[in-house]
Amino acid sequence: MTFRERLQAWRYNLVPDHLVGEILTKRWTDNAIPFLALVATLGVFGSIIPGFFKLTSLQESTRQLGEFSLVVIGMTVVMLGGGIDLSVGSIFALSCFSAVYVFFILEQSIWLALAAALATGLVFGAINGYLVGYLRLRAFLTTLVTFIFGRALFDILVSSYAADIQLSQASSEVLDFIGDGTFWGLSVSVWLATILAIVTHIALTRSRLGWHVLAVGGSRRSAHNAGIRVRRTVFMTYVFSGFCSSIGGFLIACRLSGAGPGTGLNLEIMALTAAVVGGVSLGGGRGSVVKGLMGAIIVLTMTNGLIRLGYGTGTNQMVLGILLAVAVTIDIRWLKNRHKVLNEVYVAPVYLKMGETQSAAPGSGTSYELDNRLSAADHIGLGELEGPEDVILDRDDHLYCGTRHGEIVRFFAPDYVKSEVFAHIGGFPLGLAFDKEGNLISCVGAMGLYSVSPEREVKRLSAETSRSWTSIVDDARLRDPNDCDIAPDGRIYFTDSTKRYDAHDWALDSIENRATGRLLVYDPKDGSTKTLLDGYRYTNGVCMAHDGKSLFFAESWACRVHRYWLEGPRAGRAECVIRDMPGYPDNINRASDGNYWMAWLGMRTPSFDLSLRHPDMRKRMTRRLPQDEWLFPNINTGGVVKFNEKGGIVETLGDLSGNAHPMVTSMREHKGYLFVGGILNNRIGRYKIAGADPNWTGPTSYWGAKP
Amino acid sequence: MRLLRALIAAATALAVTAFAAPSFAADDPGPAAYAKALNGKRVMLVPLAMGFDLAQGWAHYLKKEVEAWGGTFETRDPNWVVDAGAQAITDAIASDTRPDVLIIHAPDLNSYSKLMKKAQAAGTYVLLVDNPANFPADAFVGSDWDKLGQLEAEAAIKGCGENSSKKIGLVQGDQANSSSLYQYAGIMKVLEKHPDFQVVAKPDSNWDATTSRNVTTTMLQQHPDICSIIDFWDGDATGASAAIRDAKLDGKVFLVTTGGGEKAADCDKLNDGTYGAVVMTDLARQSGDMNAIIKFLLQSGQPAGTSHTYIYTLEKATTKADLKPDSCWDLKALQAEAAAK
Amino acid sequence: MNATGRPNWRRLNQEGIVFAIAILLFAAAALGLPGFLTADNLVAIVRSVSVLGILALGMAVVIIGRGIDLSAVAIMAMSVAWYLQLLNTGTSDGLAFAYVIAGVLAIGLLNGFLVAYADVPAIFVTLATGSFVFGYVRSQLITQDAVPVPQGHWVELLGGVRFLDIPIEVFVFAGLAFLVFLFLRYTKWGRFIYFAGDNPVAARNIGIPVRPMLVLRYALSAVVALIAGLLTAASLHSINTRVVNSTLLYDIVLVAVIGGIGLSGGRGGVRNVLVGAALIGILLNAMTIIDIPLLYQNLIKAAILLGAIIVDGIINPRDEQTAQQGDI
Repeated sequence: MTFRERLQAWRYNLVPDHLVGEILTKRWTDNAIPFLALVATLGVFGSIIPGFFKLTSLQESTRQLGEFSLVVIGMTVVMLGGGIDLSVGSIFALSCFSAVYVFFILEQSIWLALAAALATGLVFGAINGYLVGYLRLRAFLTTLVTFIFGRALFDILVSSYAADIQLSQASSEVLDFIGDGTFWGLSVSVWLATILAIVTHIALTRSRLGWHVLAVGGSRRSAHNAGIRVRRTVFMTYVFSGFCSSIGGFLIACRLSGAGPGTGLNLEIMALTAAVVGGVSLGGGRGSVVKGLMGAIIVLTMTNGLIRLGYGTGTNQMVLGILLAVAVTIDIRWLKNRHKVLNEVYVAPVYLKMGETQSAAPGSGTSYELDNRLSAADHIGLGELEGPEDVILDRDDHLYCGTRHGEIVRFFAPDYVKSEVFAHIGGFPLGLAFDKEGNLISCVGAMGLYSVSPEREVKRLSAETSRSWTSIVDDARLRDPNDCDIAPDGRIYFTDSTKRYDAHDWALDSIENRATGRLLVYDPKDGSTKTLLDGYRYTNGVCMAHDGKSLFFAESWACRVHRYWLEGPRAGRAECVIRDMPGYPDNINRASDGNYWMAWLGMRTPSFDLSLRHPDMRKRMTRRLPQDEWLFPNINTGGVVKFNEKGGIVETLGDLSGNAHPMVTSMREHKGYLFVGGILNNRIGRYKIAGADPNWTGPTSYWGAKP
Repeated sequence: MRLLRALIAAATALAVTAFAAPSFAADDPGPAAYAKALNGKRVMLVPLAMGFDLAQGWAHYLKKEVEAWGGTFETRDPNWVVDAGAQAITDAIASDTRPDVLIIHAPDLNSYSKLMKKAQAAGTYVLLVDNPANFPADAFVGSDWDKLGQLEAEAAIKGCGENSSKKIGLVQGDQANSSSLYQYAGIMKVLEKHPDFQVVAKPDSNWDATTSRNVTTTMLQQHPDICSIIDFWDGDATGASAAIRDAKLDGKVFLVTTGGGEKAADCDKLNDGTYGAVVMTDLARQSGDMNAIIKFLLQSGQPAGTSHTYIYTLEKATTKADLKPDSCWDLKALQAEAAAK
Repeated sequence: MNATGRPNWRRLNQEGIVFAIAILLFAAAALGLPGFLTADNLVAIVRSVSVLGILALGMAVVIIGRGIDLSAVAIMAMSVAWYLQLLNTGTSDGLAFAYVIAGVLAIGLLNGFLVAYADVPAIFVTLATGSFVFGYVRSQLITQDAVPVPQGHWVELLGGVRFLDIPIEVFVFAGLAFLVFLFLRYTKWGRFIYFAGDNPVAARNIGIPVRPMLVLRYALSAVVALIAGLLTAASLHSINTRVVNSTLLYDIVLVAVIGGIGLSGGRGGVRNVLVGAALIGILLNAMTIIDIPLLYQNLIKAAILLGAIIVDGIINPRDEQTAQQGDI
């Protein structure tokens, strides 16, 4: 290994470049910009203002924050539903007045005042909601007008009753507590805002109504067509906003013990700014309560901070304007370009030096030497099938295969002309196996492990395994379940080829060549799924050894076959039995003579082998070249290899014509014939094996003669 | 020799001490007590906004004096937003650098009452300036808006004269602010005594010059024979004057307003005939009153909230006829002075 | 009226409704209020809404192109305030004006650039720049809320200019309305604004320079705001920057939108602005004559506007299938 290669190996195998891409795939990175802004704002003002973080100071200064946050939560929900509520300031003020009126003028209890405030907010919100939701008026214009209406009403009420409020002697300990007291170190308004924020967050992310709101905001038309009651949902968002604002109004009534002409003035623009700075998008669909809250804290800290520092009129607006422009621009650019960035950085190739291999060229004289036997295979379902990755036959000689359309197709014996859709699962059914009861078990790409009963009942067995602590991508989900086989005790062993790419992006996984393939086991007894082995380069075919004590599995991009011991002294361990093959191994199945069939989905090329030693080049390639010009494994040639228990190669079959079976992903021996499938093929081949046992079948081999 | 010199020196020292001692004893204890009570004290002004003449004038005079006796003077600028003002006061009370005297220019009667109570509870003296509030502050310094309204009405009656139409128009501020409400009450008190004078219209300007112009235009169209208009603030009276000018009634309609006595805002306009009379607040004297009461409170040692003093500034309706060079203060000059430092 | 002789309510759109209300109000005021139907008062009505109308014209052009300019009021007040401040501190008139026009254009271009090239929604960009313009000018360039016009300056003289006893604002408003009308109706770029507003992607695909035109619109709106500001200063002999915090901005949007210009773009024209301005003008004037306090005026204004949009909503309901996403 040259020094350059050693450097490359260190650089690309030790530096975890892939984490950057994985972090970027996380939804929470949406919050990155507002969060950074929040930290920066708190940091700056916290360091300039002496005693900013002092508890008593925070207790007082966060009272207003609590009220404001409540309003912002309401505004956020309305915006998520695709609307806007400019009347929050008016609702806030009117609710404040209602509370003050009931408490100070009617001299009723504080709870009645709260009820009055809430009723005011709910009624006002319902009016907005009725107009915007049911009458479908334009939100901006409508709430603008109701805002002016509410404000005028409030001003009239305040000026008429101001004198009476001053003369009132009403007082209440509860009111003083809500306005001045603290509970566990925090003011009532902060508690209320926190509770409401948590409830709203859970409702939005985990309840039907919340999903409806997001759906309506995301696409009103689609939501309508999907049967969501759009009008009612929109109505509810405004009622909620009214509710939130009214609590805010009640709190300020308690805090200031009165209402003045300035109550809630400019609140709508502040709340809108907060929501936007936090990253809630106008027009709906994107955003969260957390974002709204971050925005609220940023805006309020800035405004009050600048006033506290004694800056004059205008400085506030100037800084706020800059902040808004910068935050929104970065946020929008970030959102727009995140996918581009992600595409740029997600593929993080590693260095690998493939071992020297024997030639598979015809006439080379090695055991891997390809011949032209498979070109003579008969075809089944030619032109009807798309992508039979795996094929399997049952005890009645019927032939099953998966297709690109998510179906399992059955061809009827004996001539395999007639066919039917046996079951529709979805995804891309890949590996197939029959269990003892005759259920067809399938690894469905992008979905998980499924079982289809003889009565065609589809059942999901497993779609996830336990999550590993160190992984950033969610590796609990099965991304690319590839092949499975069943042990005598009924446990299903299967592979999940990669944690980092979806099934259809297998070429990217080959270019990256990162070892993230896994071997898993599903236990039908308790329905659990466990990860047995991790860290292989694209685990693929699985085949139970004839004695049922070990299994073979293929590691495609490393061109190796491993044996995993289920019992015996080496139980739980894997050993490499075939290494440095000239082809990329796919499915492995039993042969009638005690050996094993293995498919080659493609052949190694010196150029790609070389590129594996140049991760930088592969990285540049994926960034700068269009996909169809990428260098990736040659899948235009493949073949079928027979190997024995010890890993020795017995023979190799190929199709040099390239017409029938240029690449092979699976093959199954049945009564003297070899049935050949290919994920990119449009047929299943049937090849008569010279000298094979004409009575041998898979189900018998696995589960004995027909009971 | 050395001994002798030492003796003489000792004798001299003794003599000096002996003679100086009585003069020390007779020294005035005032300055020391004054310095002790005031030094390092914090004074904070929270006006409605820092962007208008009165606030800038107060800040100028207060700062000059407070810094002279070794205190710290700060301002907070809520820019007409009541919530921001409330928060500024809240933060001030809760902060490490809690002011010893808080001077508040209240936006309305009620909004800050509870906060002022809190401030007093925390040991801060609360001074209300210019706008009354529904709270017994340690002291109120400012205009008696009722009296001010009476002065305005008297000026308007005088401006109209006996042989006029005796129709008066009002351009009020709004229906919520105490300064507007009390002014109106004061005007009405005087007009009750002059039943021959009648108010023909009393629209609101919402303290905005453009609105003031529009409502005055309409008022003048409906009642072209109005003899006097009282606009409640010189900040928007420019609008009323523009309407009068547009209606070509300059000199026929006597415009009365009120203001802080700033040169460009009031005296210049009196001089050029835009305003007939301005009821002016003597800003320098008002600031002087504030300074005096601050010094008193800080030395009194009494707990905050003990005294409830009302100091009303002397108001006077000024017309062009009695305009004197020192009738107004000059904001530009004050700013130049501040900049020169 | 359609062929069957019954009124075709479907054809009555928001503009029609607002116009009908305006006519009704006008008739009622003319009959019921003494001194309403005089030449002077009618001029006063037009004058009272002319600055609002001018700003609404600029806003209309932006809205038709599917945008919104929330910085208009800030630009209007702050540009003129800065101009007057420069004059008051002794800068020569030409230089001061050059500064201000450059500043105004810069903000307009910045708005347009951020909207067109950074893809930031207009409502945020202009909200931000409006806030910035107010804040920067107020805190850095001027010292007081209100800035007076220097004695004898042309801006002051402008306020006194009369033709046929009609103040200059009315002519400026009429002239600008006519110019904008010509621009929107008869020039290529004017028509393009409708295309771009109706379907920006399609407009871009057929080769219309959508993005440069966007920038142009915001620059135009900024210049219109400057004109409105100069007229305000001319008539009041000063400019009060507190107007930025008032509801004027909402009134501008209302005048533009209440007359029937859709916020989703592509629809409306100068006529709609005039209808909206007429309604607001007549309403305010009549209420001032009756001597209704300002607070109640706002209440009545809002109630009538609400009625207008509700009637429109009932007569022309929006359809879930055809409504545009994100059209708020």
